[in-house]
Amino acid sequence: MNRAKERDFRRNVSRRGAILGIGQLLLTGFLGGRLYQLQVTQNRRYQRLSDKNQFDLRVVAPPRGRIYDNKMRLIAGNAESFQLRMTPMHVKDMAGTLQSLSKVIDLPEAIQTDILTKAKKGPSFRELIVRRNLTQRELARLAIRSAYLPGVSFEKSLRRIYPQGALTCHVTGYVSPISSDEIEQDSSLRQMPDLSTGKIGVEYAQEPNLRGMPGYERIEVNARGRPIRVLRDTDPRAGADLQLSIDIGVQLHASKVLRKGRSDVVSFAEKDVQAGLASNPELVAHITSGDDLILRDPKGRLTPPESGAVVVMDIHNGNIVSLVSTPMYDPNMFTEKLLTRDWRRLNNHPRRPLLNRSTSGMYAPGSTFKMVVGLAALEAGIISEKSSFFCKGDMELGNATFHCWRKGGHGRMNLTSALEQSCDVYFYEVALKTGIKRIRNMALRLGLGNVTGVDIPGEKSGIIPSHEWKLATHGKVWTPGETVVAAIGQGYVLATPLQLAVMTARIANGKFAVNPSLVMHDPNNPPVFEPLDISESALAIIRKGMFAVTGGPMGTARNYALSQKYGGMSGKTGTVQVKRITKQQREDGITKNIDRPWKERDHALFVAYAPINAPKYAISVVVEHGGSGSSMAAPIARDIMAKTITELGV
Amino acid sequence: MMAVGKVLVRIPWHIIFLAGILVVVGSLALYSASEGSWVPWAGRHAMRAGAGLAIAIVFAFIDFKYIRAIVYPLFLATIIVLILLLFIGTGSGVSRWITVGGFTFQPSEPAKIAVILVLARYFDEQPADKFQSILTYLPTLVLVGVPFLLVLKQPDLGTALMLFLGAVAVIFVAGIPWRYVTIAFISGCAAIPVLWMNLHAYQKARVMTFLNPEADMLGTGYQITQSKIALGSGGMFGKGFLLGSQTHLNYLPEKQTDFVFTMIGEEFGLVGNLFIMLIYMLIIAAILHISYRVASRFAQLTCVGIAVMLFLYMFVNVAMVTGLLPVVGAPLPLISYGGTAMLTVFAGIGIVASANVHDRIE
Repeated sequence: MNRAKERDFRRNVSRRGAILGIGQLLLTGFLGGRLYQLQVTQNRRYQRLSDKNQFDLRVVAPPRGRIYDNKMRLIAGNAESFQLRMTPMHVKDMAGTLQSLSKVIDLPEAIQTDILTKAKKGPSFRELIVRRNLTQRELARLAIRSAYLPGVSFEKSLRRIYPQGALTCHVTGYVSPISSDEIEQDSSLRQMPDLSTGKIGVEYAQEPNLRGMPGYERIEVNARGRPIRVLRDTDPRAGADLQLSIDIGVQLHASKVLRKGRSDVVSFAEKDVQAGLASNPELVAHITSGDDLILRDPKGRLTPPESGAVVVMDIHNGNIVSLVSTPMYDPNMFTEKLLTRDWRRLNNHPRRPLLNRSTSGMYAPGSTFKMVVGLAALEAGIISEKSSFFCKGDMELGNATFHCWRKGGHGRMNLTSALEQSCDVYFYEVALKTGIKRIRNMALRLGLGNVTGVDIPGEKSGIIPSHEWKLATHGKVWTPGETVVAAIGQGYVLATPLQLAVMTARIANGKFAVNPSLVMHDPNNPPVFEPLDISESALAIIRKGMFAVTGGPMGTARNYALSQKYGGMSGKTGTVQVKRITKQQREDGITKNIDRPWKERDHALFVAYAPINAPKYAISVVVEHGGSGSSMAAPIARDIMAKTITELGV
Repeated sequence: MMAVGKVLVRIPWHIIFLAGILVVVGSLALYSASEGSWVPWAGRHAMRAGAGLAIAIVFAFIDFKYIRAIVYPLFLATIIVLILLLFIGTGSGVSRWITVGGFTFQPSEPAKIAVILVLARYFDEQPADKFQSILTYLPTLVLVGVPFLLVLKQPDLGTALMLFLGAVAVIFVAGIPWRYVTIAFISGCAAIPVLWMNLHAYQKARVMTFLNPEADMLGTGYQITQSKIALGSGGMFGKGFLLGSQTHLNYLPEKQTDFVFTMIGEEFGLVGNLFIMLIYMLIIAAILHISYRVASRFAQLTCVGIAVMLFLYMFVNVAMVTGLLPVVGAPLPLISYGGTAMLTVFAGIGIVASANVHDRIE
């Protein structure tokens, strides 16, 4: 009986399964009918609605956060600008329309072809930006003709402007239209043809804060395509404003003083200037890159402004007051489509204005490194304040001879007098006894050899060599001779101007390992730094030596002391040999920097802090091929320090 | 243990193949949804589908009697997870998802299969002469009611109703007398006002919007209106791959998940849409066909239940995007982006495969 029941059950399940199957088929047919109704019967109606949609959705770009200096003066802001846009699907004849547009506005051939290829490649409903930055005149002309130009529209948008021009280029960096690489990384950017993103500098480092969030709006149009009302779906959210610690006043003064160096400004009007310019390719490159400052050096030759870097920072909270790298460029050039011509000029400029020397330029620190050697030796107990060595003008090691910069020698030197007169032999002897390992350790603690982490991408770490480093990079063992060369900050040792300022700030601060920052610190919430952990008595001896550099009777910068009105300044000169003086040159008597070709002249360096008794600011100055640290870099540092104290107080 | 060769021969490869076609269509659609890019969706979709296929084939190797053996523990575990979910679940305003080891998972999807299995097992155990008695069907009220209420509580009305309808189909096929079917239908209709009173405000809003979408163009009606515009403007053959303006100008919300069918409709037209529905119906027909060949009652009911589950997925999603049902948040498995529904479907196919391999009338 059960078997019969079981068979019944199976039959029943099969029958009801079939009922379900038929039911499903009917319902699916019903869905098919619905789809037919939407997609075929009502197709025209929905096609129209879809077309209307395409015309009406807009992404509203967010206003980018503004950047201010320490006194709320604008460094980067936004200006209203008008763009000309085209939607290919609403334009009957793209080429013809572009042609007639070129008669009323400036629209080079190259841009026209560019737009035509873009229109062919992309979907026809996507709006293209034909021209940015329309002038009022162009706008008026377009407005009159708008009835005859279907699919062409103009839109208000915001354009980044840098009111200080070139002055802050290496601080802010610049924004430029989104690149295809960025879209590759984040496909949501594709909808925002308008957006500009930070490419370098603070604009890049702070991009997430500065950008804001885009909004969306829809424009409802009537049957004739005239807008009736705008519906905001989402308001754009403006990016956050940012206050930097840069002081525009100090920045301006620093760039002026650095660029001028020891030369005089000349006027273009002079006949010989006109003639001299034409025959000098370096000056031509300089002028065409948009800078009109031409100088006459003490020998009467026309030269471009000095290139180099200046960093001024607060030794307590690390805020950078001024960060200058010359030559400079105008960041406003990048905010719209950069012309190939301008790009080539910047790139081929012999002095490379795009290089941010203050953070990415690596220089041998020269004698400014002697504080590091002195501190390392004091800490290890190898010397005391009284320890002395005799400088006879050179030192023999094996079969090599290492010269002091002063031919006849300095005689008996102790640490303070060796810093005061920058005696090389004294530091050769001390470094040999201390060893590169201890010197390196001290250099790292003073901020050299590692990136500082300031808000500027592409920062270089410099080089503080060690036994292991030499073996890894050169495959050779470290020699004592290399320790001798490192003692005077040459050979493998490299540092950025920013690192040298940090080193000086830490020596002056004495308690904390200050880190630099471009973003203004809240005075109520000062940053906390790691302790420096160097004995105060050792630092006091070094500071005494640095004081003697400007204040001592034999100091290398005694002619450039900062007036007591500002509290004086302690520092250290550095003159870095770029090219060995040949025997021939020595015999010809051409040993003076100014007599050699620019490229072969020494780099001039100076680091300092002020005021002497209650330090507040540290400065580093590097003048590329500037000659001597004392006569070139020291007066620049003095002038900038005076300006800093005048502007910001102590 | 059955020889590997025999298993391989008996695996319903035609179903696997048809599912593969849907996965390819889905990957292409997601490639288009992200503006012609394999990230973030299409690549992961294809990878998940590969894993799903592997699971289905592994299931085919498991003897069907083992699947039968674990039904009750599995059901119990499902209930426990659904209860836990009310406390630890995530989602905006709902507790629907659970995150395990970086993967977000929606337990109410596999719960549909658990309910089908537990009903099939229950009816399998009843003496053949008891199927005319109402008493045989009363315990199913608990087996269906508990998971239904737990999913409803999340709240997830769409999934709860699909779970319920799948279960009702199994009970119907098991042989509940017609007189009870009629009574249930009438009392179901009578319950609608009571259900309405208990709906959440947003659920009511969805239903109202469904009844008159144009009244709320920029609110909840927006999705459905835009979906209809996208479908309708696609016409017979569509606007072409990567050229759907509604989709790419971001009018269409959720284009990678619930509204992927609409996107395909915009880019490939009526032809593309009917193709997808055809493949779905072929898979369902193949599973129903297997239900005629398997030996045990358990296998038979399971196959019918899984076929109905698949149909409900497809029907609810298509009806939703064409404006025939309210927007309830129902995926189109194998095509829309979302791992849980896809894995549920592949697990279902695997169970059917196992029944086909190990539970035939010899």
